[in-house]
Amino acid sequence: MRQEQPARLLRIHISESDRFGGKPLYEAIVAKCRELKIAGATVFRGLEGYGESAEMHRSHVARHDQPIVITILDSAERLAQLVPVVEQMMYTGLLAMSDVRAIRVQETSLQG
Amino acid sequence: MLTKGPARKVTVFVNETAQYHRQSLHDAILAFLMHKGVAGATATRAFAGFGSHQQLHTPQIEELSVDLPIRIEFIDTAEKVDEILPTLYEMVNDGLIEVQDTQVVKLARKSPRPEPQLAHERQQGPAKLMRVFLGESDRWHDEPLYDAIVKRLRMMEIAGATVYRGILGYGAKGHERKRSFFHPMRDLPIMISVIDTSEKIAAAAEAIEGMLQDGLIVLSGVDMVRLVRSHGVTEAPDAAGTTR
Repeated sequence: MRQEQPARLLRIHISESDRFGGKPLYEAIVAKCRELKIAGATVFRGLEGYGESAEMHRSHVARHDQPIVITILDSAERLAQLVPVVEQMMYTGLLAMSDVRAIRVQETSLQG
Repeated sequence: MLTKGPARKVTVFVNETAQYHRQSLHDAILAFLMHKGVAGATATRAFAGFGSHQQLHTPQIEELSVDLPIRIEFIDTAEKVDEILPTLYEMVNDGLIEVQDTQVVKLARKSPRPEPQLAHERQQGPAKLMRVFLGESDRWHDEPLYDAIVKRLRMMEIAGATVYRGILGYGAKGHERKRSFFHPMRDLPIMISVIDTSEKIAAAAEAIEGMLQDGLIVLSGVDMVRLVRSHGVTEAPDAAGTTR
């Protein structure tokens, strides 16, 4: 089945070395999204990049410090709930939101 | 506070033996500049030279080897230099002061120890997202194009950039970019995503346009929340444990 609706896309830019509560920050954010039942989240690892600290983030021999981007899609209201929570977990980074049209394709048999 | 951009460079030439209130003049000048909080000053001892007295100071002549020219140089903002010059004018009783307009290109300071965890500062507002699509094998002079673009963006003080490598794709060149057993050449699609204010993105897009051979630049509007480290505020709770 096919659902088309306006939605909002949130991108969170952080570093792979960022940590929260003893685990990588990106894992913590995705876990939080699941907890809040956000429609979907995907974590990307960049090849290289730089951000607020103006230091290059790229793969080192002993240390993984590549840029991480988490893309999260849901309605504007749900994301408005999520953003303050995520902000609390982050120290430095960037959040960018844009309006999108979401087309969701699901298997009909899974619809309860 | 000295920042990137136009600034003034002041050069002072004095003799090593010149005195100022029973201490050497160059020491007095350096102490004065430090007291005034000048961004930095360097004193160098010349190998040889001559000044208004038309006497050659050179290490070859033993008795003159202790009286070599000293050159003190510092760079600061026009306001700071205006503030300092009158006193400097008083101090240099035998020598020369020169002021030049200059351009500060880079101003970097490595902190001697890791900065303490501080609370972050929040900046919010509309911004632009730019995505640049190119190939991994694209080159700019002697380096990968994506590396060159990221370097250029850093020089332009764009807030941040991230480079992604796609798994599969096709683009302007029309050939499929895919890595396989039969095609070991690496020309996978590369995407660079950059977020900043619309003025800075416009400038960045213009700069990148000149570097791209064939590629694509896509701009879109976003709402941005930027968390940057704030200075001199209370310690953040342990929870926000980031290491950068």
